[in-house]
Amino acid sequence: MRIVVDILIVISIFFAFAGVVGMLRMPDAFTRMQSSTNIATMGVLGVILGGVVYAAFGLHEPEMVVKLLVLGVFYIITNPISGHAICRGAYRHGVRPKKEMKCDKYGEDLVEDK
Amino acid sequence: MKKASIPAVISTALICYIFWLLISGGLVALIKGAPDVRNLIVGLIVSIFVGLFSARFFIHKDAFYLWNPARFVQLLYYCICIFPVELFKANLDVALRALNPALPINPGIVKVPVDLKSEYGEAMLANSITLTPGTITMDIVEEEVPVEEAPVELLEGETEEDAAEAVPVRTKKQTFYYIHWIDVAAEDPKAAGDMIKGTLEKGVRRIFD
Repeated sequence: MRIVVDILIVISIFFAFAGVVGMLRMPDAFTRMQSSTNIATMGVLGVILGGVVYAAFGLHEPEMVVKLLVLGVFYIITNPISGHAICRGAYRHGVRPKKEMKCDKYGEDLVEDK
Repeated sequence: MKKASIPAVISTALICYIFWLLISGGLVALIKGAPDVRNLIVGLIVSIFVGLFSARFFIHKDAFYLWNPARFVQLLYYCICIFPVELFKANLDVALRALNPALPINPGIVKVPVDLKSEYGEAMLANSITLTPGTITMDIVEEEVPVEEAPVELLEGETEEDAAEAVPVRTKKQTFYYIHWIDVAAEDPKAAGDMIKGTLEKGVRRIFD
């Protein structure tokens, strides 16, 4: 049981580490958002799953298991909304990457609307 | 803003009550056989009030849509089997890109058509795409696109332009997502759509269509 918990937490630490490295290395705001999603999904879910396993088989507390699962569900539901809003707001406000993007359909269509 | 119907209120109140049971520990106490009656009654009253005030924001059409067991099983299957696999694959991909010394990224925004009937399905697919590392949904638009039809057979003495004038161009509503993609592998809308949301869209369609 202890080994499973440790493996889950190590996995989530690996993804959180990769996310932070990505946030520091990526060139512009949008790709940084992509990298931060890494932390927000596997980085958090691994810890939550580890906590569930520990609470279920180590502490034998069903209430804690249920609360952790509900926490995970709410986290998953609310997180993408903020990511979407930040990205769209940044783009509409005029933030553009320094390096040209490979294709930019959104920018083309926004210009057509005006 | 429309007024909420009674089934919508009941449905919202039920969902609220289930979450109350889960968070306050009432469900575990019920299963153990020692329920705290006061706790249960307070939760019921509060969730009915919440349902009365907030149902009109959540539910517009079919109130008991997700209470159908078959659909609920599909939802669970999507949340437990389909989505985590995609999530893990995409996570590994982006993590390896970030740790790679050459930083092999190739960002761009693609436009992708989506064929889902219900609003909830569209929102759910957009959120699933955003939650997957490497892709973020930036906007959802609905546009009129011409329907692809078989070419009209020409009558005698008629040129192609006459035929085109006689048949008005029919259009249908098509939803498009604008997706920021960290590694643009295909710019063509259909091909990009298949690569980004292929399995996810099938799963969502089974729930909401």
